[in-house]
Amino acid sequence: MTTSLKFKSPSFSRRLGGMLGVDFYRLFHTPMFYIFLVIAAIIPAMVSAMTMMPDQNGNTMQPLYSNVWQIIAAKEPLYVINGIADYANMNMVFIFGGIMVSIFIGHDYKSGYVKQLFTTHPKKQDYMLSKTICCAFAMASMCVSYLIGGTLGGILAGYSLQVNVPSLIIAILGKMIMSLGWASLYTFLNVIFRRYFGISIASSFFFGTGILIIGVAAAVENFALPDAFLNMFLYGASVNACLQSDLITLLICGACSLMWTIIYNLLGTAILSGCDVY
Amino acid sequence: MNAVEIRNLSKNYSKKKAVCGLNMTVPMGAIYGFIGENGSGKSTTEKIICGLIPKNGGRILLYGRDYKNHAVRAKVGVLIESPGCFPSLSVWDNLMLEAENLSIKDPKREVMRVLRLVRMEGAAGNKYKNCSLGMKQRVGIAMALLGDPTLLVLDEPLNGLDADGMRIMREVFCDIVKDGTRSIIVSSHLLGELQKVATHYGIIRHGKMIAEMTADELDANCRNFVSIKAERMDVAEALLARRYSRVERDEADYIRVYDALSAEAVVIYLYENGIPVTEVKTQKINLEEYYIDLMKEGRD
Repeated sequence: MTTSLKFKSPSFSRRLGGMLGVDFYRLFHTPMFYIFLVIAAIIPAMVSAMTMMPDQNGNTMQPLYSNVWQIIAAKEPLYVINGIADYANMNMVFIFGGIMVSIFIGHDYKSGYVKQLFTTHPKKQDYMLSKTICCAFAMASMCVSYLIGGTLGGILAGYSLQVNVPSLIIAILGKMIMSLGWASLYTFLNVIFRRYFGISIASSFFFGTGILIIGVAAAVENFALPDAFLNMFLYGASVNACLQSDLITLLICGACSLMWTIIYNLLGTAILSGCDVY
Repeated sequence: MNAVEIRNLSKNYSKKKAVCGLNMTVPMGAIYGFIGENGSGKSTTEKIICGLIPKNGGRILLYGRDYKNHAVRAKVGVLIESPGCFPSLSVWDNLMLEAENLSIKDPKREVMRVLRLVRMEGAAGNKYKNCSLGMKQRVGIAMALLGDPTLLVLDEPLNGLDADGMRIMREVFCDIVKDGTRSIIVSSHLLGELQKVATHYGIIRHGKMIAEMTADELDANCRNFVSIKAERMDVAEALLARRYSRVERDEADYIRVYDALSAEAVVIYLYENGIPVTEVKTQKINLEEYYIDLMKEGRD
């Protein structure tokens, strides 16, 4: 006896829900996520403790920061870095995040799980979007972890707690919003280098440290172009979220993050649609 | 309506033609044995059906709809090359992950169902990386069975399975297709095992389908041969070779005469030439022999 078959087309939300279900299940069931959360908390605590440690002669080093919150965000937008203190703030999460995303997505291909995903999900945009959202969540969680570690470390190191509270909150929110843009960049890079795990990690680090944008910034300085130009890029907008931030900063972060998320998702979808995925 | 209908499919890897002008029809309710040498284009065809690699030309319909259609593809189960599992996760977690992917309403129940089907319920807590080859293969099949798929695409699913595992898989395959709507494409080099379950066959060579037939047609195509043992085997073989066009010695040291009209005719011929026959039987070539013959013809 032959029974009739009915095929029901899954809605976009159901498709995305399925993909997100996979990604979040994996995120919460692998130790990697928790390890990166701990790293994100330990690094700022260590940096702040180290900056207050006495040298060989017993003299206390010149403090790198003037208050706790500079461990979280720089005093002002510093597009070109002059020293460790300029760099050692929440922007470091975007570097750890890059490595985490590379491992997370790289294992999709290494394990062969993409075969299951792409067989049941013909639309490649589902994959890009789901990975971006999940990795953005992971990076935003790392921002929170960094905030806790940095604050505790700074307090223990004896830094002042004085700050302009609204600017601090906006800076933290701005950096968390930037997680979306960074996650889309790393997802895109990992789609390009999906067969080369090492290169995908290296490329994430290369972009995460802002080496490219620092080069652009140097050029901007030479050609006297406005800083606003740099804010169009992920690194520039992330740096812009500092202790002088206002609501415009938040808008810049939101717009920049969203713009690059759309661009990278479209590019990633195009690559996956035209190439062998496994 | 067929489960899979492929017309004029082509796929190139730079200058190499992996699949060229392939036609394939998998009826509903079929267990389709997809056979071919290594590098003949089986896996490439299966990957194209599953949307893992884009095709260069041709048309693919799954249950009458384009193969990129969401609704149909959501009901395709796959096991290609190796199970797509995360080594550091447990068997249970890997299956739960796939259940999430398929948006299954009661994932725990469904995972238990497929684990029972492949007799792996006792090993659900094991980490995937600690499973044996056969267990990994069972997990892969369980994963493909999640969500009650209407089309299963299985590439070498029987690799690494023990005799009991193969028997279980045969039962599972037959159970899946018994309602006449679900279909399975199985590629395997274990032709003896495949012959026990397949209802249809497709034989691919150099990216082209060289034969497609039902199990009954294969049965009709498989020639009979007379298998004998006699005193002075070498002389008997030489004598038979003079009279019959195809005479071979098999691995069990029987002389096979392929174009004899009957066993009696062979026995009488040898007796008349002074060679008594000690054993005689009429047999039919199996799928493996048929396949090897077909490949030989292609090469010649």
